[in-house]
Amino acid sequence: MPGAVPSLIHDAMLAYAAIGGIVALAFLLIGLDRIDPAAAGAYAFRPLLIPGLMLLWPVAIVCWVRRQGSGGRGTSMRRRHRSAHLRIWIALAVVLPAILLAAMSLRQNGPTEAAPIRLSD
Amino acid sequence: MSANYKPVIWNRSKQVYDAILLAGVIGYILIYTRLGPFLQPAIPPLDEQTLAMQAFGSCAFILLTLVLSIGPLARLDPRFLPLLYNRRHFGVLTCAVAAAHGAKVLGWYFAFSSIPPTLAVLAADTSYGQLHGFPFIPFGIAAFVILLVLAATSHDFWLAFLTPPVWKALHMTVYLAYALIILHVALGYLQATANPIFAIVVTLSCGSLVGLHLAAGLRERTRDFARPDPAAQAPWVVVATVDAIAEGRAIVVSLNDAERVAIFRHAGRLSAVTNLCAHQNGPLGEGRIVDGCITCPWHGYQYRFEDGCAPAPYKERLATYRLLLDGRRVLLDPHPNPPGTSVEPIPITESAG
Repeated sequence: MPGAVPSLIHDAMLAYAAIGGIVALAFLLIGLDRIDPAAAGAYAFRPLLIPGLMLLWPVAIVCWVRRQGSGGRGTSMRRRHRSAHLRIWIALAVVLPAILLAAMSLRQNGPTEAAPIRLSD
Repeated sequence: MSANYKPVIWNRSKQVYDAILLAGVIGYILIYTRLGPFLQPAIPPLDEQTLAMQAFGSCAFILLTLVLSIGPLARLDPRFLPLLYNRRHFGVLTCAVAAAHGAKVLGWYFAFSSIPPTLAVLAADTSYGQLHGFPFIPFGIAAFVILLVLAATSHDFWLAFLTPPVWKALHMTVYLAYALIILHVALGYLQATANPIFAIVVTLSCGSLVGLHLAAGLRERTRDFARPDPAAQAPWVVVATVDAIAEGRAIVVSLNDAERVAIFRHAGRLSAVTNLCAHQNGPLGEGRIVDGCITCPWHGYQYRFEDGCAPAPYKERLATYRLLLDGRRVLLDPHPNPPGTSVEPIPITESAG
C-alpha cells in the first residue's frame, strides 16, 4: 500500500487539475473574449490554452480579475531578469559541479563494473 | 504578430527548423536503441523498453542543454540568431520527449501496479533518510512539471496575459528544471551505469552550458556598466558619434542597470526607442531596419522608425526617446516618452555624418 504522503500528494494533484479544468472551461467560454481583443474570432488556438490554464489556474484567476475591463497590454522598458540571469548562473556554476562530484563520490562502483565472482560451483 | 491569435505560426524557415529538429530526435532514438546494447553490454541484455526509456531520457537532457545554449550563443555571436527564432518549438519538443521518457517509465515499471501508476511512481521509493539510493524520481517529476508549464505557456497569448516580465520570470524557471534534471541523472542513471560515456557527456554538457551563460552574462554586465556622459546641457547625455552607428543598424546605450536604449540609423536619419521588444523583451538594438521598420532579431516583430508603433493591424508600441545632434555627437534625453509617442527622426547633416 502506498504511504499517506504520496497518496495525499497524488490526491492533491488530481484535485488541483480538476479545479483547473473547471477554471479553464469558464475562462475560455466567458473570460477570454473580454480581456484580450486579439482572441476575437480566433477559436482554433483556444484548446492550446487548456493545459496552461489547468496548470496555472490560480495565476490565471488573478490575471483574469486584474485585466477585467482593460484590454491594453502592459509594456516594460526595464529588463530586470538580465541581472538575475547572471546571479542564477553564478550559483549554478557552484551547485551543478557540486551535485556531479557528490554523485560520483556516492557511486559504489568505479568507472567500470567489477568482474563478477562466482560464489559457488 | 498580435492582430489575431493562431494556434501555431509556421513559415518556410520554421518548417525547415522543425523538420531538422524532428529528424534529429528520431535519428537519435533509433541510433541509441540500436547501439545501446553494444555500449552497455549486460547479462541478460537490456530489454527494448529500458533502452527506449534511456534513449528518450538522454535525448530530453541533450535537447534541454541545446535549447539553453541558444540564448547565450546568440548573445555572444549573432550568427547563432537563426537558432533563436524558433526556440519555442525546440522547447515544446523537449517537453514532448521528456513526456515520452516518463510514459516509458510508467508503462514499464508501474504498468501492472495494483494502484494507479501515477501514484505508484510517487510511492515507489521513499528512502529519503539515506544518501545511497536517495530517491531520484521526484527530481525528474519536478523538472517535468516545470517543462510542462513552460510548454503550456509558450503561446503568445500567455505572454500578453501574464505580461512580459512575469512571463519571462516564469520561463526562467527552466534553469531550476535543468538543475533538477542534473540531480535526477546524477542520483539515478549515473549511480547505476558502469559505462563512463554518459557521465562524460553530462559533465561536458553541464560545464559548457555554465561557461556559455557566464560568458554571455559577464559580457552583458560589462556593457551595462558603461554609462553615457552627461552633456553640457541637462537633461541630455552624450551617447555616441554618428560614425559609430552603421546604416540600418543600431547602437545600444545603458542608462542604468535595467534600462537600455537602441539608437537606429536609417536613410540618413536617427531615431531612438527602448531596446526591449514589446513581444518577448528581445534586444531590438541587435536587430536591423527591414522595410523601413525596426525589426526584432528574435521573432521579427516590427516597429515604425518614427514612433515605435507596430504597423497596422498590429498594436505593439515602444517607448521613444528624443535625440539631438551636436556636431558629430549624438545626444539623448534619457527620459522616455510614453509608448508610441511620435518623435521626428533627426536628419544627419553633412557636417555630422
